[in-house]
Amino acid sequence: MNLQVVYCNHQSAEISVREKLGFAKDRLPAAYAALRSAFPRAEWVVLSTCNRVEVYTAQEDPTQLPSHHELAQFFSDFHRVPVAEFFDDLLERTGPDVVRHLFQVAASLDSMVLGEPQIVAQVKEAYSLAQQHSGSGPLTNALFQRALGVAKRVRTETGLAEGRVSIASVAVGDFGRKIFDRFDDKKILVIGAGEMAIEAVRYLKDEGARQIWVCNRTQERAESLAREWGGEVRPFDRLDDWLSQADVIVSTTGADPCLVPVNRFKQARAKAKYKPVFVLDLGVPRDFEPAIRDLDDNVFLYCIDDLEAICEQNRRSRQREVDKALTIVDQEVDKLMGELYHRATGPIVKRLRDQWREVVDQEKKRLFQRLPHLEKDRSEIERSIEQMVNKLLHPPLEALRDEAREGTPHGLLDALRRLFRLQE
Amino acid sequence: MMPHTSILCFLACYVVAFGLELTRFRGKSAVSRLISLGFTGAGLLAHTWYLLNRSHETSLPPLLSSTHDWMQVAAWLLALIYLVLAVLQNEMALGVFVLPVVLVLVASTYGLNHAPNNEIYAMQARRSWGLLHAALLVFGVVAAAGGLLSAVMYLLQHRRLKTRHAQPGGFQMPSLPRLAQANRWAFLLSFVLLTLGYASGLMLAIAAPDDEASVSLMEPVVLISGGVWTLMAGVVGWLLVHRGPVGRQVAWLTIVGLGCLLLTLFGLQLATGNIHSGTRSAAHAAQPEVRR
Repeated sequence: MNLQVVYCNHQSAEISVREKLGFAKDRLPAAYAALRSAFPRAEWVVLSTCNRVEVYTAQEDPTQLPSHHELAQFFSDFHRVPVAEFFDDLLERTGPDVVRHLFQVAASLDSMVLGEPQIVAQVKEAYSLAQQHSGSGPLTNALFQRALGVAKRVRTETGLAEGRVSIASVAVGDFGRKIFDRFDDKKILVIGAGEMAIEAVRYLKDEGARQIWVCNRTQERAESLAREWGGEVRPFDRLDDWLSQADVIVSTTGADPCLVPVNRFKQARAKAKYKPVFVLDLGVPRDFEPAIRDLDDNVFLYCIDDLEAICEQNRRSRQREVDKALTIVDQEVDKLMGELYHRATGPIVKRLRDQWREVVDQEKKRLFQRLPHLEKDRSEIERSIEQMVNKLLHPPLEALRDEAREGTPHGLLDALRRLFRLQE
Repeated sequence: MMPHTSILCFLACYVVAFGLELTRFRGKSAVSRLISLGFTGAGLLAHTWYLLNRSHETSLPPLLSSTHDWMQVAAWLLALIYLVLAVLQNEMALGVFVLPVVLVLVASTYGLNHAPNNEIYAMQARRSWGLLHAALLVFGVVAAAGGLLSAVMYLLQHRRLKTRHAQPGGFQMPSLPRLAQANRWAFLLSFVLLTLGYASGLMLAIAAPDDEASVSLMEPVVLISGGVWTLMAGVVGWLLVHRGPVGRQVAWLTIVGLGCLLLTLFGLQLATGNIHSGTRSAAHAAQPEVRR
């Protein structure tokens, strides 16, 4: 039995490399077919996400596993990319390290955003696709099923997934959703078109936001964003009107001097009749004067520093959970490896025991036929033989068990086969 | 005969549940939440059994027998409402707010007289009116407690949002609009129930026959309650006039209004040992033997 993973991820390779090596869902059947035809006896699972491309291989016979170079060649042939362009970014792990790696990936310990929940679904989908395309087998089934169990255990027993760590998600999830119950009836005003505004609007849309107004100095950019989000363009010169009407304001212009001083917003508040307003000032320097947050009870203003501080706090508390999660991963790796090695040595042990039992039975039969007067002590004699067999088998089996803790003891298994002439 | 359950039994369950709820400050734990719900459920079961026992002993509904039982019913109702809400809104840290009130109510009954209210045995004919009066008051008080707690939660949530603090992982509170809505409705509901409760009490007092126990309208409890009711009516009037988004003022007003009401009601209960302690009739004709 042997396990191997050849992979590149956000730590080892640039996105330009990962893009070239990634497997789109519609090309996976072809990838599995190619792998099967090149290495027909192996089991395969391909995990391809925006942050990683990993090919897991498992096989009972270690001599049949593809080499690192052969798999690099497969990537090259399949994606038509020269090996030299990515070979140094392609990493390899074997044996228990594969199990540890997959468990860490599934538990989101290897993710760009520690504890992010999407990876579990991605691992699950990769495994399910491998099953559909007959890529997986008994070893990969055991490996991936356990990986999903480990991910669940880490999620429930540690605080690794607690607290949001991106600015937009903290803004919308931790604050926005507590200021407003729902967003489908709210007017969202987006001033400027920074990357973070785009992310914030994406979260707001996920929360049901429908009415999005884009207000930008450059009309073309505003129109393009409005099209992208299904929103409406609002003229920049009437910003005061939109400020008074909006329930949520996301601003990223970073204008200097600041776009909305206190007095300007004060007038907008009076027109808005002091209804609650959630202002996300993501501009650097700030677009809204900080004193605005004290204008009245219903103004909730958050700037990038406020949100970044919470993200950092959440990241730190997640980091504290990493050790707990790693301990769980180590426990599960030992458990699974023990089970897999037991599975690998089990058939040999069984054959050895069966063969000895056969010899014992033959000898007992012969003995009681030749010396029938021993019949009265039959049970005592049988018990003695039984104990003798167990004592004689104990040292080799104990040695096998010890060796199996470090990996499949191929040498010892082979020696046992030859010494005792065990048939396949 | 029904087996006995002591107050300590369910009080201990609620204490454990409250302790587990406090662990929310340290982070999310589905296991601890489940155990907390289990203890609340067990406490509620024991509490129900206790009230049934009391009712069986006094041959009266718990609402009518004594101030001790009346407050136990109030605590029971709050615990029941909390359990239902906690099951439906598992993420919310409602127990941190509701369970202390339940604990205070249950613990305070230790100092109260268990003996049934003797007048009740005498007013056979009007007992159902008495029951209605007590029930309206207890529901009104529970609604008032709900309003008070939602107002406190509103102010805490508002403060957190204004000061831009992250909420601890396991310590989630409802959104401001939801809390404001709960606050407003609880306040209005408690006002209506308490108004009807006071009105039925007044009718009972006025319509009492000469030979039966009655409550004097000049009794301190009636006068003080009347004063608090007037304060509540003022707040209700203000609420109805100001329909705009004035959540924080509403929260403070309800805290003052409902706080006064609850302090008055429970203060009087605890101080006098019985809400209607000012009058005692000699008419104990129909009183059965009470087992203690």
